[in-house]
Amino acid sequence: MSSEGEHVVSMTDVEVHFETDSGIFSRDSDVVQAVDGVTLDVEAEDVVALVGESGCGKTTLGKTAIGVQRPTSGSVTYKGQDIWEARDIGGNADIPFDEIRRALQIIHQDPGASLNPNKTVMHTLNVPLRMTNPGMDAFDRRERVHEMLSRVGMEPPEDYANRFPHQLSGGEKQRVALIRALLMNPDLILADEAVSALDVSLRIDMMDLMLELQDQFDTSYLFVSHNLSNASYITGKADGRIGVMYLGELVEVGPIDEVLENPQHPYTKVLMWAAPNLDPDADAQTRSPLRKIDIPDPRNPPTGCRFHTRCPEAREVCKQRPPVTEMDDEGDHRVMCYRALDEHEYWDSPEIEDEADDMPR
Amino acid sequence: MSEDTTTFGSADQKPAGVTRSRKELYRERLDRLLLTPLRVIWSDWRTRIGTLIILLYVFVGTVGVRLVDEPTMQDGPVNASPFEDAAYPLGTNGSGESLLAKLVEATPPMLQMILAGAVFSTVIATALGTISGYKGGLVDTVITTLTDIAMTIPGLPLIIIVLVLFEPKSPYLIGIILAINAWAGLARQIRSQVLELRDKSYVEASRIMNRPLHEIILDDILPNIMPFVLISFVNTARGVIFGSVALFYLGVLPVNFANWGIMLNRAYSSGGALYSWDGLYWIIEPMIAIVLLSFGLVLFSQGTERLFNPRIRARHASSIEETAPMEQ
Amino acid sequence: MQAQTTRKFGVADPIFEVRNASITFDMDRGESRVMDSVDIDIERGEILGVVGESGSGKSMFASALLDAVVDPGVLTGDITFYPESGEEINLLNKSEREIKQIRWEQIAMVFQGAMSSFNPTMTIGAHFRETLDVHGFDVEEGMEHAEDLLAQLYLEADQIFDSYPHELSGGMQQRSLLALSLVLEPEVLVMDEPTAALDLLMQRSIIELIREIGRERDLTIVFITHDLPLVANLADRLGVLYAFEFVEVGPAYEVLTDSKHPYTRALLNSTPNLDTPREEMKPIEGKSPDPVNVPAGCSYHPRCPLADETCIQMDPEFSTGNGDDDHQAKCHYIDRTRAEIPLNLTEVTHDE
Repeated sequence: MSSEGEHVVSMTDVEVHFETDSGIFSRDSDVVQAVDGVTLDVEAEDVVALVGESGCGKTTLGKTAIGVQRPTSGSVTYKGQDIWEARDIGGNADIPFDEIRRALQIIHQDPGASLNPNKTVMHTLNVPLRMTNPGMDAFDRRERVHEMLSRVGMEPPEDYANRFPHQLSGGEKQRVALIRALLMNPDLILADEAVSALDVSLRIDMMDLMLELQDQFDTSYLFVSHNLSNASYITGKADGRIGVMYLGELVEVGPIDEVLENPQHPYTKVLMWAAPNLDPDADAQTRSPLRKIDIPDPRNPPTGCRFHTRCPEAREVCKQRPPVTEMDDEGDHRVMCYRALDEHEYWDSPEIEDEADDMPR
Repeated sequence: MSEDTTTFGSADQKPAGVTRSRKELYRERLDRLLLTPLRVIWSDWRTRIGTLIILLYVFVGTVGVRLVDEPTMQDGPVNASPFEDAAYPLGTNGSGESLLAKLVEATPPMLQMILAGAVFSTVIATALGTISGYKGGLVDTVITTLTDIAMTIPGLPLIIIVLVLFEPKSPYLIGIILAINAWAGLARQIRSQVLELRDKSYVEASRIMNRPLHEIILDDILPNIMPFVLISFVNTARGVIFGSVALFYLGVLPVNFANWGIMLNRAYSSGGALYSWDGLYWIIEPMIAIVLLSFGLVLFSQGTERLFNPRIRARHASSIEETAPMEQ
Repeated sequence: MQAQTTRKFGVADPIFEVRNASITFDMDRGESRVMDSVDIDIERGEILGVVGESGSGKSMFASALLDAVVDPGVLTGDITFYPESGEEINLLNKSEREIKQIRWEQIAMVFQGAMSSFNPTMTIGAHFRETLDVHGFDVEEGMEHAEDLLAQLYLEADQIFDSYPHELSGGMQQRSLLALSLVLEPEVLVMDEPTAALDLLMQRSIIELIREIGRERDLTIVFITHDLPLVANLADRLGVLYAFEFVEVGPAYEVLTDSKHPYTRALLNSTPNLDTPREEMKPIEGKSPDPVNVPAGCSYHPRCPLADETCIQMDPEFSTGNGDDDHQAKCHYIDRTRAEIPLNLTEVTHDE
């Protein structure tokens, strides 16, 4: 949809490392490299999906993109302005931090926890209105809330506005969370597993709604999900991009249809194998292509290419970190794998020896 | 979904749609803020009775004091039994004072002590607990250390020392001193609650919306810790009641204003109340006064958490219809 | 009951026969019927996928099979269990003690969220030992068997036995629970959303493991989930739950490619999938019914495009619609569903 235009959010070589205390008697605290050297841009009115298993860093990266998580190194900019610099130097920044904070919003995964259980829907939705339109009086705000509730299909709006969260279904709560985020007039919304807690038949509804309102409110989505089918639906309909993450690294990123048709990274292919398929005729390869069933401990990731311990195509040379290869001229489709290079010693390198606890190939 | 092509213009553009009168808006607000809580209180027998008892004492302490004459010595017969003379329905003490009058006279200062002590300790505890829990870091460490120190200082000896040193006269001041250590335990409790709440999704959403800190505390944090706060308020109140009675009885507190504890003391020492059936009334009456107030407070507190439970509030609000409430 | 009851859905050798089973709860706002006169047979050795969204009663079905409905729910009807050897057992007639013996030894259950099934203060090894002990099994032998099971599930027995539940990842916990459920060599495994909290890859891996283990040990597996694609390739037969009853039952292949009930077809059309064209996806209008207030007549009629007066008045019976006995659906217009509600997936892959 848009590969030109100003970047709304731009992350360059971002690293987020957490120190975890392992107890009173630990000698040194372990460091979890939740995000390690990721570069990613989000354009205006864009949809970018981040997929991967839990612990891959997609949520951390998402929160870094909206300025909630401070990176330990690298930069995050909003419309050119470094977010954390704006926070540190206060009034002198080109774009003040307050403005940035309001432009980047979130929709959480668990609808049950994303709304204040003690406040009515009307109260909850009044908050963003008061922040963005201080001139509006209570009466007008009320009308606006009713209008938005109608817009997302919650009729009659007066009834819904007076309800408490426990009186709403999961889908309804998520819609309220969506309205709340949109009423801030943001430039980017992080949808952190926003449809994962909903019933399967409701997910399409919610994703369609998000896309419909995207036009109206002129916002982008960063859609974090462990479910490839959901991610492919929403990015597909919006002609967006998908980023695949593994143990803190962005191993492949590109336009959704291209990545699905022509996956370059072995991990992407594994994810596609794992995505449940409705078509019983499809060639169901039942054996797992992975060499090991469990993800390595993020405190102690494998050296070089982090996927090499489980990769079905791993070779000795993979113990060194592969470069990022552009698959096309526009720089849209990037992969971090030796296999993307036609000529490399990878092709001559021997396969890695199987270990005792490997899954049978 | 509706097929509206409503444009979302600026704030001064009144959007088309169902318009409701301002009167309805205010009526809804009144219902939500005042009537619904009252209905909730009335709906449970414990809060109902507790509230009535507390209101009784408040009545006695404010209006009742004007209705009943101040007790004067040698006013009536000495050591008269209760329920015999209409002028002295609860009998008289050794100095001929009407016991009813004495009970009533002691009520306002008692209420003042309770109010001062409970409010002081609860407000301090809530403020410190919330700030240390929410802010974390150095602020948290400092406040927690203070709290720990306060918790380990033995309460009763401290109170006695302070009282003896400063000899306060005002019931408000005495109330505060009696509650001087009560805030520490609650502060700890509130801190741990706030720690948990701080990481909840909706609180994070508030931060991401750049809401000012005081709004987040008032809207997102406080309503969820109110049950603790109220129960602790009541417990401190009871602590003040029993503490004051005990210290008056022991003679530590100055006898410049009336208190049921003093009545107990005199009933015991000069009235021989524990030795004969005749004098028993003198000691039982203040006891009932003390226990009844305490009981009323306990009953009330048992139901207060319902006030802050949105499921129960929703049930009693007239402005919410019962259309398919999904009990998840 | 020695009489030959009519076999349902073409099941030749049932291990479970459920007849007219209902679960009711008495609530303030009315009687809540979370399972509504369910009739179904489960074939010995098969994998039966039970698919239902939240609010369809699927977890209640699982509880019913083990006679483990929480108080104050009341389970009525007939549920007969036919073990491999021995007499048939009418589950509702058994005492609590007898049921406890059947549970886990003959019918095991794996719940969603393995973490809450474990005692956080006991190691995994202690769980195994306790289970073996309480059921009077030889602990030595049992632990050896457990080691084999764990190895099959790609877990290191030594490491697992010494760990506490919270020390393991979600995937490891779920596999440990699976091993625990199999250590007494039950005949039936009832699984309620066993992979719900897990990642995509782990989900898929565990599905494969379940398939392997089920085949090896001749297990009958009842796999309950809201995620239709998950169970699509695993199950032999599928049962679709809507509004607390089965609305369609049949061989998995047929139910997926040639469903007969409007709800099943709508569900397939609204499930995001990598292969289905996105423009064809359609959400289902409306909401699932409240158990206190199920619509009269056909429970799906408020949301069904084919609904008419008949549907509002009369609750449909199971019929085959000119097909085999083993594939049936509860719809008055079972013959028209194919034409009126096209399946977007099959259109693409089975086009001329």
